[in-house]
Amino acid sequence: MKKISYILLIGFIAFVSSCEIDNYDWPEETLKGRVIDVATGDPVLTDQGSEGTRIRLRELSWDKTPSPTPFDFWCMKEGVFQNTKVFKGHYNVRIDGAFIPLLRINNSGDTIADETKYIDIKGVTEVEFKVQPFLKLKWVGTPTVNQGKITATFIVERAVSREDFRAKIEPMGNYNENFLNVTDVRLFVSQMPYVGYREWDNRYSVEKGYSGTSFEAELGKPVTITTNGVIPAGRTVFIRAAARINYATEGIKRHNYNEALRVEIPR
Amino acid sequence: MKLKRYIYTLFLIGGLIISSCSDYLDVPPKNVITNDDVFANSASMTVYLSRMYSQMPYEDFKYSPARQFFDDWLVTPGTNEGSSLGRDAGEAMVSEGWARNGAYWTRAFELLRDANRLIESLPNYSGNFEVAEYNYLMGEGYYTRAIVYYALAKRYGGMPLVTKMLNYPEQPISELEVPRSTEEETWNQVLADFDKAIQLLPPTSSRKGGANKFIALSFKSEAMLYAGSIAKYNKITGFGDKTGVRVIGFDPNTAAAASNKYFTEAYNAAREVINSGKYSLYLNKWSANDKNAQYQNMVDMFFDAGSKENILIKQYSFPDLTHGFDSYNIPRQLMGGNGYSAGNCPTLDFVELFDGINKNADGTIKVFDENGKYILFDNITDIFANAEPRLKANVMLPGSEFKGETIDIRRGIYTGSVAGGINPLRVVNGGAPDYSISGPSNYNQVDAYTAKGNYSTKQLFLSRDGSNHEVVKLPNGSDLNAAGRSGPFTADRTGAFTGFVIRKWQNPNMPQALVLEARSEQHFILMRYAEVLLNAAEAATELMIAGKALPDGANATDLVKDYIGQIRLRAGANAITANEVTSSQDILKMVRKERRKELGFENKILWDIRRWRTQHSDPLNGSTQADGAWYRGLYPFYSTVADAYFFDAGFEEARKRFRIGEQEYYFMIPSGEVAKSPVIDQQPGR
Repeated sequence: MKKISYILLIGFIAFVSSCEIDNYDWPEETLKGRVIDVATGDPVLTDQGSEGTRIRLRELSWDKTPSPTPFDFWCMKEGVFQNTKVFKGHYNVRIDGAFIPLLRINNSGDTIADETKYIDIKGVTEVEFKVQPFLKLKWVGTPTVNQGKITATFIVERAVSREDFRAKIEPMGNYNENFLNVTDVRLFVSQMPYVGYREWDNRYSVEKGYSGTSFEAELGKPVTITTNGVIPAGRTVFIRAAARINYATEGIKRHNYNEALRVEIPR
Repeated sequence: MKLKRYIYTLFLIGGLIISSCSDYLDVPPKNVITNDDVFANSASMTVYLSRMYSQMPYEDFKYSPARQFFDDWLVTPGTNEGSSLGRDAGEAMVSEGWARNGAYWTRAFELLRDANRLIESLPNYSGNFEVAEYNYLMGEGYYTRAIVYYALAKRYGGMPLVTKMLNYPEQPISELEVPRSTEEETWNQVLADFDKAIQLLPPTSSRKGGANKFIALSFKSEAMLYAGSIAKYNKITGFGDKTGVRVIGFDPNTAAAASNKYFTEAYNAAREVINSGKYSLYLNKWSANDKNAQYQNMVDMFFDAGSKENILIKQYSFPDLTHGFDSYNIPRQLMGGNGYSAGNCPTLDFVELFDGINKNADGTIKVFDENGKYILFDNITDIFANAEPRLKANVMLPGSEFKGETIDIRRGIYTGSVAGGINPLRVVNGGAPDYSISGPSNYNQVDAYTAKGNYSTKQLFLSRDGSNHEVVKLPNGSDLNAAGRSGPFTADRTGAFTGFVIRKWQNPNMPQALVLEARSEQHFILMRYAEVLLNAAEAATELMIAGKALPDGANATDLVKDYIGQIRLRAGANAITANEVTSSQDILKMVRKERRKELGFENKILWDIRRWRTQHSDPLNGSTQADGAWYRGLYPFYSTVADAYFFDAGFEEARKRFRIGEQEYYFMIPSGEVAKSPVIDQQPGR
């Protein structure tokens, strides 16, 4: 009997002594940031999700694997981002969205410009990215509601000049004038405030496609769109206008947006 | 005294050690098979090869885009290419996330190692084999490697090119880490391995299912068509973070030349198969101007193992190797004991590709007359009475005959007046008919059913599911369930929820009691002559568009017209019209459409729309798959007053949304593989 309890005791001690407290601290640092239009100082509004502005962290101080696994998260629709669960360390922070890429690589794979940030993240670290968005959208007046249909007016204009765009993009190779063409303009409707390309109600949202340079003449002029279908009376919806050019950053053609508006459909 | 004992002991031990230095005890372990055992004779090679063939990434009844290779649960070929929809089959293929056997990236290297071992070791044992057999075996090694890299390249782009056996622990880790090559180098490897295989393989297989020269040529034409299309149409490219190698896409400066090279290879390979005269289109039951014979011919060709059209088939046999195609896809009324049915429901979009259907100017099926009222048909089969026989061999239409039964597909019964015609059903609260995506998604929302708007009483009757029916008393006093016995139903998708059920591959002679999972044993045709004709036609068209003459001097337009004409004639489709061959772009359109019609449900079309890079961008019912798009169905209704049928065409009720971003043409590399290796790159931008 005694023998058995000794064996059990030894076993228990071996079991307990093999426990060790995890050698990593909690990820407690905070990375906060803003994406700003370099020309105007306005925030660059975006979709929330994989077709919006993506923040990619690579922890360069990490040496346990051959290369750090990218850690991605997405910008809020107001053009700000925050992550409160980041490990302390030295990072490369890169953002990609509907603006001139910060990291530009030419056809042979050489880096021709690297405007990404290399920073130590510790405590609350704030970063500000100054970028050149492709387009800028502005509301004109207040949207009106008539029998469950919303009519909204907005202006789409270039936020980066043709020349600037060309100067930055052409060295990346295979430049095409078509890149600057506006391919579609949309009015997204959703019952969520996070309205955008990943959150839209297809019953009401409107897409207007433009081929070639056909939108060129409309740039800077008010565009008026009336929503599809009939939104039931008494609902609250959120609307946002978006437009994009024929140029993909990181493989995705992303939209530029204006701010989401709350619209009440009267009873 | 004591010392003496020690010395003796030492002698004794020393003696033991020394005498054990002889190697007579050094026999190879009996439970480990060595190269000497494997590469000994034909019999041992058959064992080795059967293991290889069992791992071959063939897309047959054990493959589905949702679940990838070696998974035969719910097989529904066609459901991700847009030819059909499946309740459980997913939508656009964007990842390997559902693959129960894991990403093919990991799995492929097992077979690759077997192939490399064969290629590397067999030359050391060449004395054990006749020259012809030796070449045959080497050819199979190269063929396997080509097939594996082809499967990998179309999923991931550039791959680590492992063309030698990697030996661990003999080699240091640094030599075992192989980075991804460029996509172009990967396709060149596929090309080189196919060419080696073609050079070595004999013209006929000596083992069932084994490779031969023409199988290799046919798959080469398919693979090179893929490579040429990527070089031409792909827009996604970028460099790996770790290596700086262009791991996906082609260098834009050389892409055009590469694309022409691959199309030329595709053309030559396909032409060699065609010119051999070994294969022909299946015409055993075919007869000119006899649509029934043409239909029966196209049904039989999928079951006749001796068909001259088959280039490579994957055989099944109960109980050794089986699948469950019939069980999963049988119409609801003929359901087997496992309770599956109608897993694969063709879309109206697919049906409308075919000839012999009355259509509107925009190519959609005509269901309304000039006043916007439903056209009434005395018999449910009348709407497709003159349809192309190939359609009927592909799809069970409402009222089709199968296993001696009439397939009873009916969405509901309309009891309202027919004076002045029946108004479109998709109306809510007295509004205008709404056939847009914002319109009613289920017939239980429309006014005729809910008795709102212009309907003061309920005049539309539907069935909730296969066992809960609204029953309508007919003018002759008999009772009729609202829905047909094969659906479609309001609340479940076990019926024909698009209005159609797949016909291709369904065994017409299987008794209902045997319609069970793991009970089907019909073969799958992995490669047939019609595809080779289509490959040749497409490659010729692409070369014509690129301004290149065909390498054998043939006239591209005449050749395409000949090949497409043969396929259409066999299918009972309309002959080629002048409009279809006006420009080379028109010809390309015609060739692509013919492919979709001929090869639907054969695990080919999804790869076609991916290599054309049209899946995300082609207009689909007013939208694109980049934004999210939906397919349509055709819903038959019976009017009790007119004793006639009418059909409602529109977005299908399940509202399955297909969405794919351009990036998703390449699968992600499994993140674990990227994290643990210093050289393996993730797809750029992902």
